[in-house]
Amino acid sequence: MTTYSDLQLDALRELANIGSGQAAASLSSLLGKPTDISVPTAAALPLADAVAVAGQPDEERHGILVPIIGDMQAAVVLLVPDEDAQTLCSVYGLDPHSDDGRSMLQEVGNILGTSYINVLAQMTGMALEPAPPQVVHDMLGAILASVLMGRGEDLEVALVLDSDLTVEGEECSMSFLLLPESGGVEDLLARLGL
Amino acid sequence: MTLVATGTEHLARMGEQVVSADAGDVLACVGLGSCIGLALIDRRATVAGLAHIMLPAAPASGTPNGKHADHAVPALLEAVLELGAARHRIDAVLVGGASMFSFGTDGGQQVGARNAEAVHAELAKLRLHPRAEATGGTRGRTMRVRVADGRVVYKEAGGTEVELFSTPVGLRVAA
Repeated sequence: MTTYSDLQLDALRELANIGSGQAAASLSSLLGKPTDISVPTAAALPLADAVAVAGQPDEERHGILVPIIGDMQAAVVLLVPDEDAQTLCSVYGLDPHSDDGRSMLQEVGNILGTSYINVLAQMTGMALEPAPPQVVHDMLGAILASVLMGRGEDLEVALVLDSDLTVEGEECSMSFLLLPESGGVEDLLARLGL
Repeated sequence: MTLVATGTEHLARMGEQVVSADAGDVLACVGLGSCIGLALIDRRATVAGLAHIMLPAAPASGTPNGKHADHAVPALLEAVLELGAARHRIDAVLVGGASMFSFGTDGGQQVGARNAEAVHAELAKLRLHPRAEATGGTRGRTMRVRVADGRVVYKEAGGTEVELFSTPVGLRVAA
């Protein structure tokens, strides 16, 4: 089973901190409202526990997947509860269950995923770029398991970098997860000299 | 990992399986995406087992375990036989194997479809017959198996419960 040292997890947490800070700044300018982030958690977890990090497996979420391609294969996943998606979309007068609402969520994923990934790329010297986001509304467990298993990779543990973004005065929050493929994490750590 | 369940609802999380011979039990896989929930049921013996399978097969370098169809299907059969199921009475029911996202990097078949295919192949090797299935599509599913009568239901996100497999009235055994 792959494990990471505390030092490595600290470094990954710091990357997530800077990445999600940049993502929060981008969300602020999109919405014209201040956005806060929680201190991210970084953990290498058995798959079943990785799913549990974000909530109960049968809770429904809007899931925005931003696949990351280039020197490291990874996925950025945004999980947004329905009422928070309603709040987010209402800034532009949209319903998250409509086509336009889904486009809006896709764009949010694009902006947040891209700013996060740019920070990672700058800090590690890796060439990384986001592929077009895909939006679903489904059960949390099904969303995360499908992302983790999506490429058919035989994972024992998943590295989960999780931050919460909160839009001030709007009671709107979402989880932000970076799920690198296992080989990619080693590369990432090597680039950081760890 | 195989847990022997007693009383109320028992979850098979990713890569796990649960088996029960207790009529009060319900076995469940919650939030199946590309994974497959496989139920093996002997209604006469009041025995059921449920496996939460994630991948078709172990890689050449790895050790097969509950995540992989090639290990999980025979292991689940062995576990229900141990609880008193009779091989010729076993009904198999499959749920899951959805493709919620397209990863499109290899142009190959999606992992959900490959999982369903692998489970079918393993069942065929063991000469077990799928009686019902709800696989494929783009939606996640939750499935529940009632040990008392082998009734299997599933539910998609935002949908209502659908009965997938039930006991013909004539076969119902008095408790």
